Amino acid sequence: MATKFLLKLYVTGQTANSRRAIENLKSVLETELKGIYTLKIIDVLKYPNLAEEDKILATPTLTKVLPPPVRKIIGDLSDKKKVLLGLDLTVKKKQFVDAV
Amino acid sequence: MAKKLSKVASGIPGFDDISHGGIPKGRTTLVSGTTGSGKTAFSAQFLYEGIVNFGENGVFVTFEETPQDIIRNTKGFGWNIDKLVKENKWAFMDASPDYSSSVEVGQYDLGAFLARIAYAIKKVKAKRVVIDSVSALFTHYHYYRVVRQELHKLVANLKESNVTCIMTAERLLEDGQISRYGVEEFVSDNVILLHNRLNLHGERERTIEILKFRGLSHDSEEAPLLVSVRGINIYPRPKPKLRGKGFSQKTSTGIKGLDDMLYGGIYKNSTTLITGASGSGKTVATLHFIMEGAKRSVKSLLIEFEESPDQLYRNAASFGWDLKKYVDNGIVELLCHYPEDLRAEQYLQMIQDLVIAKKVKRVVFDSISDIQRIYNERKFRTFVIGLNAFLKMHDVTSVFTNTTSQILGVTEITETNLSTLSDNIIILKYVELGGRMHRLISALKERGSMHKRDLMEFEITEESGVDIIGPFKDAENLMSGFARRIRQMGLNKEEAERDFIAEVAAGKI
Repeated sequence: MATKFLLKLYVTGQTANSRRAIENLKSVLETELKGIYTLKIIDVLKYPNLAEEDKILATPTLTKVLPPPVRKIIGDLSDKKKVLLGLDLTVKKKQFVDAV
Repeated sequence: MAKKLSKVASGIPGFDDISHGGIPKGRTTLVSGTTGSGKTAFSAQFLYEGIVNFGENGVFVTFEETPQDIIRNTKGFGWNIDKLVKENKWAFMDASPDYSSSVEVGQYDLGAFLARIAYAIKKVKAKRVVIDSVSALFTHYHYYRVVRQELHKLVANLKESNVTCIMTAERLLEDGQISRYGVEEFVSDNVILLHNRLNLHGERERTIEILKFRGLSHDSEEAPLLVSVRGINIYPRPKPKLRGKGFSQKTSTGIKGLDDMLYGGIYKNSTTLITGASGSGKTVATLHFIMEGAKRSVKSLLIEFEESPDQLYRNAASFGWDLKKYVDNGIVELLCHYPEDLRAEQYLQMIQDLVIAKKVKRVVFDSISDIQRIYNERKFRTFVIGLNAFLKMHDVTSVFTNTTSQILGVTEITETNLSTLSDNIIILKYVELGGRMHRLISALKERGSMHKRDLMEFEITEESGVDIIGPFKDAENLMSGFARRIRQMGLNKEEAERDFIAEVAAGKI
C-alpha cells in the first residue's frame, strides 16, 4: 500500500521523553495508520542541521509532512486522542461510541 | 577550575569605556529593556564589531525577527551581514515564529534548541553568541519550569564552550521588574539595562546602565545611548583619564594679546568657551584661531550656525584672510547649517566622522547657543558632553562660542551649564563709558595655568582683527554692568576710592 502519511519524529538521544515518544507514537501508528505511513526518527544530537532546516526547538517533536497541512506536535505523545487530533485524524467511530 | 574573570571588548563606541573594558568574557550577560530600547541593535552590534574588529565569529539566535529582517534592518548601519554569513563568520539560528500550528502533548525539553546552538557555534567557531530574546521562549512554551531548566543548561553549556554570550530580555515597564518572567534568575551575574523614556518635552531618550558585573568593575551611572547611521553610540561621562596625555603644550589662539593674557595661548586638547553678546567679536575671534592654524596647515573644522559660507568668506576677507583658499584646499572643513537641519545625534556623527577622516586638530563651534535654543536641557547636555569627550579623546583643541542675551550688564555664563565643561573661559563685553562703547576682553578661567586677570580693552580693526590695546584702567565695576569712571585721572584706584567716600560723606554725591 502506498504511503499516505509522512512523519518525522525529532528526539534527543536516549532521554526518557524520547523513548516514551517513540513507543507512544508507534502504538498509535500501528493501530490507526498501519501500512500507510513512513516514519523517520531523527536524533538532533546527530543531525542538528536537520533540526535547523525544520526550525525545531523542542524535543520530542512530531511533524506531519504529508498529507498537508504541516502539523507539529511537541511532547512525549502520551495522550493518544490529542495526538490523533493534532494529526488531523478523526477518532474512529468505534472508539467514539465506546467513549460515549 | 575557576577561570580568571576578564572582559572582551565589545567594539561598540563608548561601551568599553563605561564597562571598563567590555562584556564579561566566557559568561552570559543579560541585556534587558522595554520595547524599542535598542536591545536587538546592541546585541547585533556586539557580534558585528567582534567579527569586523577582533576576528571573533558569532552566532545570532533570533526569536522575533527573521534573519532576513535583521540583515535588512542593519543595512542602514552600513553593515553587510549577508556577506559575513557567506564567509562563515556569522551564523543565524532562526527561531523566529513559523506559522504551522503546533500543539503540546505530554512532556518535552528543548534538546533541539541546545543542539542547534552547539552546532552553530561549532560551524563558525564562534566566540560570541547572542540570544534575542529569551523572553520569547516563555511565550512559545506552556511549561515555564521546562524553559527555566533548559536555560540553566544552556548557560552552563555556553560557559563550557567558553563563548561570551548576550541574552536579551523583555522588560514590561521602565523602573519595574528587571525582566519579564524573571529571566535574570538564570543569568544573574551580569545585567545591563537599556532605558527608553519619554522626557518632559515628549521626546524619546535612550540610555544604558550596567546594573551589575559580578566580580568586575564598571561605571554605575546611566550613559546616553544614541542610534545613528553607524549603529549604536554610547556617550560616557567625560573622565579625567580621557584627556590622554593631559595638558602640556600650549597653542596660539591667533590673537597676540590674548596669547599674552594666557601666558602663551591655550593648552592643546583643551576646550575654550568664548562668551559674549551678539556683535561682541566672537566669530572674529574664532576666525583668528582657525586662520592661525590654517597657516601652519593644521586641519580645522569650523561649524557655523549663523553665517553662510559666502558671508564668512567675505567677513574673513575684510580682515585680509583668505579663508576660502583653505577651505578649497581641504585644510579647513566648513559646516554651515541651520541648527534645525539635523538631529543632535546626526550632528555628532557628522563631526566625529570628519574629525577622524580628516585628522582634524582644531574645532570651532559657533555658536553653541544656537543648538541650545532647539534642544531640551538634557539633550543639549548629552550633546555637549558627548562632543567634548570625543574631541578630547582625539587630541582636538576646541573653541565654542556662547551668545549671551544681554548686550550690557551682568553675564550669566553658568546658565548654559557650559562653564564646568570648559577648560578656559574668555569673556567679551561691551561697556558704556563716557558716551562711548568700549570692547573688553577678560580671561575668567584657564584650567591648569596662570593667566592675567586684567580686563583688557580691544578693538576690531581691518588691519589686525581683534586688537588688544591694553588694560582698561579708567573705570571699575565693569563686570557688574554699572561702570564708573575713576574720577580723577592720575589718581590710583585707592586714592580715587578715598576721594569718592569723602565726597559721599560730605553729601556732595
